[in-house]
Amino acid sequence: MAIDPKSLDAPFTALAAFDWGGDVQPLAAIDAAVIASHGDAALRADLEKRLADLLGGKAPSAAKQYACRKLCLIGTAGCVPALAELLGSKEESHMARFALQQIAAPEAAAALRKALGEVAGDLKIGMIASLAARRDAESLPALTALVSGDSTVAAAAAEALGMLGTPEAAAALAAAKTSGVAAEAVVDARLACAEASAKAGKKAEAKSIYESILKAVGEAPATHRGRAVRMACQRGMFAAMEG
Amino acid sequence: MRRSIAACLLSLCACAAAQEPASREAFTFAIELVKGSDADMRAVALERLRDGLKGEAYTVELAEKVLPGLKPDVQVLLLSALAGRGDAAAVPGIVKVSEAGDAVVAPAASRAIASLGGAAQVPMLVGRLDGEKSVGDAARAALVAIQGDEVAARLVAAAADGTAPPSRRAAILEVLADRRERAAIDTMVAAAVATDATVRAAAMRSLARLGGPAEVPGLVAGFLAAAAGKERDDAERAVLQVCGQGPETKAASASLWDAYRAARGDAQDTLLPLVSRVGLPDLLPIVDALVADPDPARRARGLAALARWPDATVKDRLLGLLAKTEAEPERRLLVGALIRIAPLPKNGLTDAQKLELLAGTLKLCSTDDERRRLLERAGAIRTVESLRFIMPSLDEPAVAEAAAKGVVELAHHQKLRDGNKAEFNAALDRVLAVAKDPVTRDRAERYKQGKTWERRAR
Repeated sequence: MAIDPKSLDAPFTALAAFDWGGDVQPLAAIDAAVIASHGDAALRADLEKRLADLLGGKAPSAAKQYACRKLCLIGTAGCVPALAELLGSKEESHMARFALQQIAAPEAAAALRKALGEVAGDLKIGMIASLAARRDAESLPALTALVSGDSTVAAAAAEALGMLGTPEAAAALAAAKTSGVAAEAVVDARLACAEASAKAGKKAEAKSIYESILKAVGEAPATHRGRAVRMACQRGMFAAMEG
Repeated sequence: MRRSIAACLLSLCACAAAQEPASREAFTFAIELVKGSDADMRAVALERLRDGLKGEAYTVELAEKVLPGLKPDVQVLLLSALAGRGDAAAVPGIVKVSEAGDAVVAPAASRAIASLGGAAQVPMLVGRLDGEKSVGDAARAALVAIQGDEVAARLVAAAADGTAPPSRRAAILEVLADRRERAAIDTMVAAAVATDATVRAAAMRSLARLGGPAEVPGLVAGFLAAAAGKERDDAERAVLQVCGQGPETKAASASLWDAYRAARGDAQDTLLPLVSRVGLPDLLPIVDALVADPDPARRARGLAALARWPDATVKDRLLGLLAKTEAEPERRLLVGALIRIAPLPKNGLTDAQKLELLAGTLKLCSTDDERRRLLERAGAIRTVESLRFIMPSLDEPAVAEAAAKGVVELAHHQKLRDGNKAEFNAALDRVLAVAKDPVTRDRAERYKQGKTWERRAR
């Protein structure tokens, strides 16, 4: 059943004032409209614009986060600027990047990459995670630059490179100078890269990574983790050999 | 010999240079790791040999070339991996290793054969049943698990082999029961009257698990063949299991009655306690006649039969006889029977009638021991009236401990306890004041706190 956009005026007015603990009933019409907009480009564009406009206004954080969740479902390049504006906000950053993570348009990835250089701490780790989830190959240089030392950001960047799983990512990980938690993340990420190579039929590359890790771990690692890494390498090598 | 990973990799490269299939390269590598001393790497290699690297040629090579050269502890691991491969081509190699194996390797080989072998391996496993415990237990478990055409037939033949050691025949009969091999029933029936008591007992236990009405005559024959004492008691349990449990109890009981009627002389006398345990109504006139018989021995048999009845249909007979008898042994027997049957769950009486019967019996008790047994049994009638019946006895030192057990048994039932909370709390306080038995006291404390108590299996 077609939805008259005018019928959404009142729900959006309610949304603009919505805060945690408020009445969610008026928002049901927006939920229904988002579902009904499947195959209705005009309605979807109208909804996207209304939601994006709300992000730029002075609506409570709860309302903005609701809008981000809906844009996860229907967002396009059109709403990227509005979402990007929120990436530096402590309250709305995560919900905004969840939306950008889902929006297929390259503008969304570009916004995340830009924010990666501008935010810090947990927000930066969030950008790394979203770029990794998008398997964004263009973020390789930025991620490579972050993999050094012993920090949670470096560990997140290493994990992201592992998710990319490309030969370039594997090379960046092999060259990384890390310690502590980041060093462990690098090993895990390298195993992921080797597995990705084996899956892609690049057995020699996979074996090369496994051998390199085995050499680094040594024959008699002192920790359970070291032993587990050796066993993982060995499994991987068998998988690579057997094809 | 500890081989380094580098050495393994070298061997891997050598295989690659010889242009062997990629899986051969991995197979060779896996064997190197299995032979090596690194337990972690060996585990990974065994995993690959179990789950990957398929093919009969590899299986045969593992079982016939690699397996014999390994240390016993590693042989055990590879045997497990071979079993996991599910390739019967490993069987000849496993059998060879098994023949030369020790108390560690032979059981592992039996376990592998259970997964991979068939009828051809049954004689070998049967032969191992007489071995030391670990070997015999593994062979027994393997014989239960092993599948294939003719397996059952070979086991049946082995069970019927009168020249085999009795312990072996007994073990095979148990194996057949574990396998639920109904094709073995005739063999079990024949074994129930074997000359050796071990074989007879195993046959009766097996028939108890697999038998039905058709096997009751065989069970009766086994019961009659059993030596008086433990063997006959066990045989009685086997017959009762068939006649008292399962979907065909009625037909089985009828079959038992036919067997009793067909028996003559001493055999019928021997069967009487068994048949009375089943409680066949047709038996009652015979029991009545025995009880009325002036011959003391015949009367004793009749009274014993009545005392073994499984429900309360004989309560009036018991009470009537109690009123007349002056012989103390008879009185004890009859009171004991009433104490036993009154609270039985499905004895044909309502809870009120059960309690009334128990209360009446209490008046007929003449010893503290009888009163103690009765008060404990009162805990099986799950009503608050039972609690009220028991409570006064908590004040009698001679029976207080038994009364306390009756109270905690009633309190065990949460619905009953919670439905009469104040009354039970007061009763449990009284139990804690008089009871010395630590289990009774623990139970009382727990129930007072709303907790339960785990009954240990007997």
